[in-house]
Amino acid sequence: MTSATLPAPRPGTLHALFASEPLFAATGFLIVLSLLVTVPAMFLDARQFQGESVWTKPIKFQVALSIYLLSLAFFARWLPAGMTGGKLYSAYAGAVVFAVIAELVWIGGAAMFGVASHFNQSEPMMIRLYSVMGPLAVVVTSASLVLGIAVWRNVDVTLPPALHLSIALGLVLTFALTVPVASIMSSMPGHGVEIMPEGETLPLFGWSREGGDLRVAHFFATHALHVLPFIGLVLATFSSDRIARAGVWIAAALLITLVILTLFQALMGRPFIA
Amino acid sequence: MNPESLFEISSRLAMAGWLALALSPLAPRITQLIGGVVIPVTLSIGYATLILVSWAGAPGGFDSLANVMLLFDVPMIALAGWVHYLAFDLLVGAWQVRTARQEALPHLMVLPCLALTLLFGPLGLVLFLGIRQARLLAAPLAKET
Repeated sequence: MTSATLPAPRPGTLHALFASEPLFAATGFLIVLSLLVTVPAMFLDARQFQGESVWTKPIKFQVALSIYLLSLAFFARWLPAGMTGGKLYSAYAGAVVFAVIAELVWIGGAAMFGVASHFNQSEPMMIRLYSVMGPLAVVVTSASLVLGIAVWRNVDVTLPPALHLSIALGLVLTFALTVPVASIMSSMPGHGVEIMPEGETLPLFGWSREGGDLRVAHFFATHALHVLPFIGLVLATFSSDRIARAGVWIAAALLITLVILTLFQALMGRPFIA
Repeated sequence: MNPESLFEISSRLAMAGWLALALSPLAPRITQLIGGVVIPVTLSIGYATLILVSWAGAPGGFDSLANVMLLFDVPMIALAGWVHYLAFDLLVGAWQVRTARQEALPHLMVLPCLALTLLFGPLGLVLFLGIRQARLLAAPLAKET
């Protein structure tokens, strides 16, 4: 490979994403491009599912999964040197990308045929597919754990210690919080608790304003990999190392609390914001 | 948007691509980019959208002529089929222009092939391949004289 001869990527550039984790960066980029097909479909297709365009959900997943993969590709620059070139790692990254694409094809296919993807209890084939998608979703999320641990253990990272900690901790927490929240959600009949299927929702997010919505906790859990590094960056810039590191741990504890609170709030059938 | 206005838009888009190809000696690279990449790709993306939106629940299928005809009774599917023609015919036209340039075939000989490809796709391709082959066969003779 020629990657060893390339100059060190400048942080923040698109080139850096592709240099540090080419597979995740390329897949994330392709998913962004696939919006060129589904966004016009939303305007062209009059079919609705639970009060929204059938294409709303695929578009949300395209946006979410491309942000996820591009975020992982961004953080991959702090992986131990040579890790992404390894055979075992490449096979694993390939499995993650396969799981991401399988999830998008499943959700997009269900939209195309106007049926439910998650929580489908009627069509026999969709019930079987749904049971396969749970383990695949864990594979998708596990990438944040693998990258988080590898970044954590990388002693060559030259970042301020608090920022380094916040990146690793954010990645690990994304996995550790998302998996239990998503498992609880998938064991329920749907993402809503005591809500009307076509009731009031929050703009953009689509969370129910009338009853419990388990997607709220999922959102905060999954965005740990964004929230914590942001807090780590702010703290590392404006305070001493000891305080900044303590701040990152406190922020992590607060985030865990927020996820637990929003989870129980939803389980009790109460809206996040009424 | 209704199928009729989408038909208008896609047909005009394709015509712009054919115009670019017809004028290709003036600016080979930009016309190849427009007629061979940008417009066919745009049409293909549009095709993908039309299929995603209209495939489910459509009657018929690909397995018999009667089923194909049934399928094309759905306006959106017929439109998608038309956009498929537009995109692929244009790609074939762009390939003809590219190949002719590489092999120094005069553009005046390509123009009738382009016109025929635009109207009757495969006929234009066959004409181009015929002209190209005839020239390859004639080339050694030309050298001998």
